[in-house]
Amino acid sequence: MRWRHAVFACLILALASISAAAEEAGVSVSDAWVRETPPGMAMTAGYMVLQNKTSQRQVLVAARSSGFQSVMIHRSITKQGMTGMEHSPQVELLPHASLPFAPGGYHLMLLNPKRSLRAGDRVEIQLEFRSGLVLPVAYEVRK
Amino acid sequence: MTAVVLAAIFAGTWLAAVYRENGSQAVFLPDRVMTLFPAPKPLAAFAFTDQENRVFDLSRLKGKWSFLFFGYTHCPDICPTTLATLARARENIAKSAAGAKDVQFVFISVDPNRDTAGKLGQYVAYFDATFLGVTGGNAQLGNLAGQLGAAYQVEVKPGVENYPVYHTSAVFLVDPQARYIAVFAPPLDAEEISRRFEVLRQLEGRKAA
Repeated sequence: MRWRHAVFACLILALASISAAAEEAGVSVSDAWVRETPPGMAMTAGYMVLQNKTSQRQVLVAARSSGFQSVMIHRSITKQGMTGMEHSPQVELLPHASLPFAPGGYHLMLLNPKRSLRAGDRVEIQLEFRSGLVLPVAYEVRK
Repeated sequence: MTAVVLAAIFAGTWLAAVYRENGSQAVFLPDRVMTLFPAPKPLAAFAFTDQENRVFDLSRLKGKWSFLFFGYTHCPDICPTTLATLARARENIAKSAAGAKDVQFVFISVDPNRDTAGKLGQYVAYFDATFLGVTGGNAQLGNLAGQLGAAYQVEVKPGVENYPVYHTSAVFLVDPQARYIAVFAPPLDAEEISRRFEVLRQLEGRKAA
């Protein structure tokens, strides 16, 4: 009987440490979506809201997905009345702050999707942080 | 006249309609969304080609209100966002009493190198079946952009598939006499655009009558 208690205790400890790790990871992603690709187009953009729940800054350094030839962190910027895109090698999340990736600002530039994306589809993209944290995120395809 | 005043009230505080007995006069207040020019600027000749390889020149702007937007199809963020917003604005205008028969939306590609007529047609139709896609040589693009105060820059690099393109992200409004009358500044909102346009069209219609 006693060994069962021990197993149970171990199980609880294991679960507790997993949830602690998740807490430590502390970055959550909401409203993740990818724009449907217009016909004939081989690129689109991904958007989301990143929330840093930790008291340390978190730095997004890369994004990867097997669904695209490449994924890059971009930002639309306006200079001298003209809007263009620039590559952002890293994006810093301040402690306990959220940062939107939204049209006209930060976005994931998604190049050459392996299949055409239709509204309602889902694509997975892994977000990589400097801390070593890798977050797999499911993005909903929207028109 | 009552209808216009009511329209102005429903449209919000951005329009101050001042009416006098001896003739109506309306004043648009300075606005973050739309800048209206008191003296619309007549546009000079230019020549583009549309998605069906027809000539798109100054004459195609006459007799219709035209919303013009400069962009390029290899643009994952700003261009699809703007075109989707304009499609919603068009839908709103189509539902209004005056409809959208006298309104056209023109996407002007500043990247003729990649945006062929066929590509442009496929691209704009995805957003709205009535949208026009036009482009032209650099001199003609520069010509119309210059007349509207728009700017663009294409950095074609040999061997680079996705070269950078920069462009003004405002939307330009040309009246049925082919005069540049107003500009919508980003961030663009479909409802804000269609409401202002509907009141402006009504006021201009009264002026013409």
